[in-house]
Amino acid sequence: MKLEFRIASYNSLIIYFGEKIDPLISKEVQKAYLALKNAHIEGFFEIIPSYASIMISYDILQYDHREACLKAQTIIDNAQEIDKLEQKIVTIPTYYGLEVGFDLEVLAQEKNLSVEEIIALHVSEDYFVYAIGFAPGFAYLGEIHEALATSRLPNPRKAVPKGSVAIADRQSAVYPLLSPAGWKILGCTPTAMFDSTYEGLSLLHVGDMVRFEPISKALFLKLGGAL
Amino acid sequence: MNGFLVEHGGMQSSIQDAGRVGVSDIGLTQSGAMDEYAFGYANLLLGNPFNTSVIEVALGGMILRARGNFSIALCGASMPCSLNGESIELWQTYTLKEDDILSFGFATSGNFAYIAVIGGFLTPLAYGSFSTSIKEGLGGVEGRKLLKGDFLACESRVLKNKRKVENPWLPIYAKEVVLRVVLGYQSDFFSKVQHNTFFNTPYMYKGEGDRMGYRLSGEKIVPKATGILSEPICFGAIQIPSHGEPIVLLKERQTIGGYPKIGSVLCVDCFKLAQLRAGGVVKFEVIGLEEAGAKARAFYRFFLSSKLS
Repeated sequence: MKLEFRIASYNSLIIYFGEKIDPLISKEVQKAYLALKNAHIEGFFEIIPSYASIMISYDILQYDHREACLKAQTIIDNAQEIDKLEQKIVTIPTYYGLEVGFDLEVLAQEKNLSVEEIIALHVSEDYFVYAIGFAPGFAYLGEIHEALATSRLPNPRKAVPKGSVAIADRQSAVYPLLSPAGWKILGCTPTAMFDSTYEGLSLLHVGDMVRFEPISKALFLKLGGAL
Repeated sequence: MNGFLVEHGGMQSSIQDAGRVGVSDIGLTQSGAMDEYAFGYANLLLGNPFNTSVIEVALGGMILRARGNFSIALCGASMPCSLNGESIELWQTYTLKEDDILSFGFATSGNFAYIAVIGGFLTPLAYGSFSTSIKEGLGGVEGRKLLKGDFLACESRVLKNKRKVENPWLPIYAKEVVLRVVLGYQSDFFSKVQHNTFFNTPYMYKGEGDRMGYRLSGEKIVPKATGILSEPICFGAIQIPSHGEPIVLLKERQTIGGYPKIGSVLCVDCFKLAQLRAGGVVKFEVIGLEEAGAKARAFYRFFLSSKLS
C-alpha cells in the first residue's frame, strides 16, 4: 500500500492510507498503529489512528519531519499481520424521539423521506467501529445508508446532551459527553459510551460491530435517559 | 497541612501541568497550561522542572489562604494582585506564611495567570498528568474547576532568595498578535486566492473561545470540500468549518475531527493567542517547517535546561 506522508504541524506528521471508509484500509491503519505503538519509540509521544490516517506527534528536540517520517515508514514496512480478533456485536438502545432527535425533521425534509423512514434507514445497517477519538468513548461508525448521507452543520451546536446519536457524511456516532457538536442528531441512547471502568474508557473498540435498536420513550427514561 | 485553602475559586481556576501525553489515541484531550511561556517562567523561578503542576487562573477573581510557610511564583496575565491587601507584582516569587491572603482581581490584559509552588501541587495523577480536563472530568481536583473550600496541598518549601523575571523577558499582551502558520493537512483544498485572503486580512477574536480553541472572525475562506474523513488533530491546527471562519485548536481540543485544516499555528504563537483578549486582532503569516522547528526548539531548550541562580 502506498502511503502519503504530510505535514500536520511543526512537530506532527500525518500518514494517509487512503481516502475512503473501507474495512480493508482500516485494517492497514490498525496494523501500522499497533506496530508504531508497540515499538515504544522514544520521542514519538502521540500516535493517533483514525479511519484512513495516523498522526504522529514527535519530540522536536529529537527529530525533524524527515527523520520522523523515515522512522515511521520503517516500522510500518515491518509491521506484523494482526491476528483476526473475535468480532463483538454491541447493541445500543436508542430513543428516536423528536425531543432528542433535533435534526430528524429537517433531515426528513432534505431527503424527501418521512421521519420513520429516516429512523428505519439508520437502524437497518450494522456498523463497523473505525476509530475512537474526538472525545473519550466517541466511536466513529461506518457506513450509514447512502440515502442518509448528509453534511455537517454549518455552525456546530455549542452543546448536545450526552448520548446523542448523530450522523455526518456516511458516518454515525454517539456523543459520550455533553459537548459541542457539528453532526446531525437523530436520537439519544441511555447507554454510557464513556466510563472510567471500561477498558480504554470506551464501551466500543475499533473492530467491534454496532447495532442501533429503537426503544420507546418510556424505556429510554427507565434506562436512565434524560429529557 | 501545608498549602492553599481556596476562599474563592474565580471564573475558572484549575490545576494544570504541561498536559496529558500518549493517551490521545483513546480519545483523551491533551489539556495543560494554555500559555506555556508564563507557566514555564512560574516554574523556572522556583527551580521546578518545566512540567510541574500549577494553578491556572483564568480571567481572575480568585482568593487563596495560605496554610503553613511556602514560596510561590506568579506569572502571566496582568491581574491586579494583592497579598494581605497590599498590591504586589507578578513575574516574581513571594514567601507566604500561615493565614496570608493572596487575591486576584480581574485581568486587564491577558487571560491566564499561573501560581507555582516548589515541587507542584499534591493532587492525584490522572493518566500520567496532573492537568484538569473539565469536559472529561479528569485530573486536578475531581476533574473540575477549583471551588471555595478546596485544599491544595504542597510541600513546605521556601526559597532562600527572592527571584523575578527581568524586564526584557516580560511579555507584552498586545491587542494584536501575529500567528505563524506551518502549511499542512488540507492546505491544497484552498485556492491561491483564498490563501491570499487568509494571510493578508486581519481576523478578530470576539471572545468565542475557551481552553478547547478560539474561533476568529473575518474574511471567510471556503475549501473545495467542506467535510473530510475524520482525522487526528494536532495542537494549533487551524480548522475551517463550512462557515468559513478559522478555529485555532488549543490545549483542550478534540483528538479527531472532520473539518479541513489549512495548517497549524506554531506552538509559541498559540501561547500568545491564548492570552489575547476579546476584541484582539490576529494576523496569520506563513513560516517554513524548518524555521518553525528551530523556534520551537529554542523555546523548549530554554525552559528545559535553564536554571536561575
